[in-house]
Amino acid sequence: MASIIDIKGECALHVRNFDFTYKGATAPSLKKISMPIAKNSITALIGPSGCGKTTLLRSFNRMHDLYPGNKYEGEILFDGRNILDPKEDLIHLRTRIGMIFQKPTAFPMSIYDNVAYGLRLKGIKNKSELDGRVEKALQDAAIWKETQDRLKHDANGLSGGQQQRLCIARAIAVEPEVLLFDEPTSALDPISTQGIEKLVIELKEKVSIIIVTHNMQQAARVSDYTGFMYLGDLIELGYTEELFVTPKEKLTQEYITGKFG
Amino acid sequence: MSPVQKRIFINKLALIFSTLSAIIALAFLFWILGVLVMKGLSALNWNIFIYEGAPPGYEESGLKHALVGQLILVGMATGVGVPLGILAGTYLSEYGKNSKLANTIRDISDIMMSAPSIVIGAFVYAIVVLPMGHFSAWAGSIALGIIMIPIILRTTDDMLQLVPGTLREAAFALGAPKYKVILNVVYRGAKAGILTGVLLGVARVAGETAPLLFTSFNDNFFTTDLSQAMPSLTVTMFNYATSPYEDWQQLGWAAAFILSMFILGLNILGRLILLSTKKGK
Repeated sequence: MASIIDIKGECALHVRNFDFTYKGATAPSLKKISMPIAKNSITALIGPSGCGKTTLLRSFNRMHDLYPGNKYEGEILFDGRNILDPKEDLIHLRTRIGMIFQKPTAFPMSIYDNVAYGLRLKGIKNKSELDGRVEKALQDAAIWKETQDRLKHDANGLSGGQQQRLCIARAIAVEPEVLLFDEPTSALDPISTQGIEKLVIELKEKVSIIIVTHNMQQAARVSDYTGFMYLGDLIELGYTEELFVTPKEKLTQEYITGKFG
Repeated sequence: MSPVQKRIFINKLALIFSTLSAIIALAFLFWILGVLVMKGLSALNWNIFIYEGAPPGYEESGLKHALVGQLILVGMATGVGVPLGILAGTYLSEYGKNSKLANTIRDISDIMMSAPSIVIGAFVYAIVVLPMGHFSAWAGSIALGIIMIPIILRTTDDMLQLVPGTLREAAFALGAPKYKVILNVVYRGAKAGILTGVLLGVARVAGETAPLLFTSFNDNFFTTDLSQAMPSLTVTMFNYATSPYEDWQQLGWAAAFILSMFILGLNILGRLILLSTKKGK
């Protein structure tokens, strides 16, 4: 039986009895997952490759819908509604729950247009409002200093770490309530990684964050809560300090001490 | 000879033969270009661009009719072929993906690409020229457009598929609807490749003669009437070069030279565009 802590404060999301089955698969890849996601906190998902942590993350913004034939069962409650409802407005959902990918995904356009992309999708056309919100997003993503003189330059000219911060700026520009990070530093060097981690911690004042990471030290450094997943099950969800020091489950204990994974 | 010496010997032999083959293959290309430049350049003069066709022996004869006709025919074919080709390629890459329908379209378009162009000329003759009762620029452009579609369709399909899936996902994750993801992210990423495909497609149909013989036919006079036969550089070149008159033959060389330089230019431009984007990355 999984050991899931109760969260005292407010929750951003609630996962209840959630099953996910990929197209053509006979068995579900996620089995009866139930967990709360605390508001204005960082929840890290750890576990060995193929445990389903990315699959779970991509369910929160219904990314799996891009590839037809995948099946959701159970509930993910957001703002009192089940976002797994087939009638859910995915365009609206994705403006409220943003995502940062493993590899930086700067669009082939200028730095400014990258950040303005989501804002323009929302219908903001006013030049001064766009300018203001682009600047604020770039400042919040700690990349304003490096980019303010070359906003019209191609975003692909930035370094990997800068591109990843640009992607974060692009995501926070539309002021989402939740941000999903899918191993955001696995393609970056240690210094860029440090910068991104610092940024993620700062961001939790405004948004609730879920971060998938391969790196247990990273989970320990940045997160408030950690969930350990194994073979499609959520084995344990606890306060990060407690989970890494006194795990309640034997499997968690073995994983964090490096016995497998 | 020791085994090692033998291997070195065979290696040298292979090198010599393959180098010779390459030189022979290229020699023909330069031979053709050389003759073309020599004969073509000497036949070039301003009259060619000022005067239209005239009976043999006239001083004031040129290729204006064929040049303008060629531009109209290729221009209209591009106007039809490019949007259809790009939209069909977009369907394959972004909507059809690996479905049966999409793969069938890919196979058919591959077959169409290798179909002899004269067959397409005969087809347009049957469906456009016969019902209309006479040759027309419309028919010629339709034939060229049909030849162009599969080329642009396949390059568009290939170039769109080269755009990383994560880029599409990132746009979707910001709440973009599918058509906007395609329009402002996927197309941008594949811009240079699609443009190159278009240029190569235009270059390919610009050199076609056979399909025009059945469709726009030819005319020795300047015309912009699309419902009538229209002269083209290729058919004019064929008629002039096979005529017994020396001055017409000269004009034939000039036409060959102008056409080749146009196609060469398009090809080089296509390469340059691809090269410049590779450097950018």
